[in-house]
Amino acid sequence: MSEPRDELAAAPDFIGSDDGEDFSAFAVSRWPGLVRLAFGLTGDRWLAEDIAQTALARAYVAWRRVSGADDPDAYLRRILVNASNRRFRRRRVAEQPGDPPEVAVEGPADLVGERAALLAALRQLPPRQRAVIVLRYWGDLTDAQIAAALGCSPGTVRSQISRALATLRASPVFAGGDEP
Amino acid sequence: MTAAEDMELRWRLDDLLAAVQPPVVPLEQIMRRGNGIRLRRAGAAAVGVGLAGIIAVTTLALHAGRSAAAPATALSGPAVPGGVIASGTADRHAWRLAVQDIADPGYRCLPAITLNGTDANPVYPDPGYASTVTLGAVVSGTGFAFIQLPASISGITINGRRYVPAVIAAACGYRYHVAGFAYSLAQALRVTVANPPPGWAVVFPIVQPSPQTDGLWINTYAVRGEAASGLLASGYLSGQEWSIQVEFGTGGDCYAFNGNGYQMGSCVPVSTPDGPETIAALPLGFPDPGTGAVGYAVPVSPGTAQLAAILSNGSSELATPRVVDGRKYVAFIVPDPLRLSRLTWLDAAGRVMASTTALPQYGYVQFQP
Repeated sequence: MSEPRDELAAAPDFIGSDDGEDFSAFAVSRWPGLVRLAFGLTGDRWLAEDIAQTALARAYVAWRRVSGADDPDAYLRRILVNASNRRFRRRRVAEQPGDPPEVAVEGPADLVGERAALLAALRQLPPRQRAVIVLRYWGDLTDAQIAAALGCSPGTVRSQISRALATLRASPVFAGGDEP
Repeated sequence: MTAAEDMELRWRLDDLLAAVQPPVVPLEQIMRRGNGIRLRRAGAAAVGVGLAGIIAVTTLALHAGRSAAAPATALSGPAVPGGVIASGTADRHAWRLAVQDIADPGYRCLPAITLNGTDANPVYPDPGYASTVTLGAVVSGTGFAFIQLPASISGITINGRRYVPAVIAAACGYRYHVAGFAYSLAQALRVTVANPPPGWAVVFPIVQPSPQTDGLWINTYAVRGEAASGLLASGYLSGQEWSIQVEFGTGGDCYAFNGNGYQMGSCVPVSTPDGPETIAALPLGFPDPGTGAVGYAVPVSPGTAQLAAILSNGSSELATPRVVDGRKYVAFIVPDPLRLSRLTWLDAAGRVMASTTALPQYGYVQFQP
């Protein structure tokens, strides 16, 4: 009799190919970060999970290409940002004239207000500016990496960051910001 | 930005996004969506465009991507009567898992495992796969599952206490060796197999459903099952092309609502000829203000000849079903600012079979005609 295996590896051998197992491990490890990044881009928890799923589904379809890429994470980020942008365009039409409440903030009461304020400030930004802020200040990516994710030049990234920071600096979120 | 502002922004973003606690990665759903993307790409190459009109139904031939038929399994012994795998009572509701044909009369037999005669999972006999489903508020606190087993495994044990024997159930010439059961959602589900044969695990892998998937079967890994796709409707709205496609399979009835190159997708429970019909609605994405629309897709009962859509301005449109893999669907769009007020099912003689005003603008509802 064979040794018991753990639950993740418990599929009968004839079901899973090596590719499938590689993808599963990749998806499991990247999922939390993808959902958080998507939440930063959209401010909507449900949408974030859906976009993260979409990105991984697209990576699944192109798994050979993704897994063979020099930087599979860069590939995945690009897919996710594209998916987010497409959703934004759809939502802009579907939700006119006004967006529904999309703040989904969790945590201790004293932090909830601050988080909601930051989300509100991020929502003031156009999608591309929101993306550069999240990718730079949460993802710690370089201009070149952000440019690759957004499909633009590093110069555009720098100008977008500059504009986004100007907007954020004027918001009451930051200690140094002007009070309304 | 000063260094202090830089630090503060980093800290606040870290704090905000760390507060997001994602659920367990929905691997099966992701792979199902991936397979749907593959199907759409294949379908897009084969399917043309259709007719114009506010509500239009195509007359184009359907593109069906049927998977290869599964080989018959070598199981000996009699099959259980009526295909019933398991039954019981949960939350004061009777439940029944069974194998049955879910194709409309007159079409090729289409086997599926169903819960209460509906919510079908069109799997083929394929030992090694588990499937789970929840029904939300209808039967709260209870999940339902079946596990297909090889002939050498006679049963499973649930949470170390309850032994569930496997039975042989048959439909459409297929024989399933399967154990079915209901379980409490209040605790983690652990399914074990005593004395597993080589290559099998003691602990059986189970993917748990979530509230977002009520009514949808969640399969562990990409189980083999019936798969087909078809264009249900298409046309032009304000000069922009739209279409509604279905991908039917073990992931449910998955609709793609396309508008001007943008796509919304949704999977809903698979209904059976005698079960409630699942009315799905999603907005189509059109980029210009004032050109939005909501797309509707409904698998209809076998006797349905037409579906009448009554709109909020009092006008009505008739939509004719299309058959995909032995199942009838109707699809149409309702352009903004109109809303769908009523759906009426009509038979071949034009008689009203059923009617409902409980209609979604987004998501799905189930209606028993």
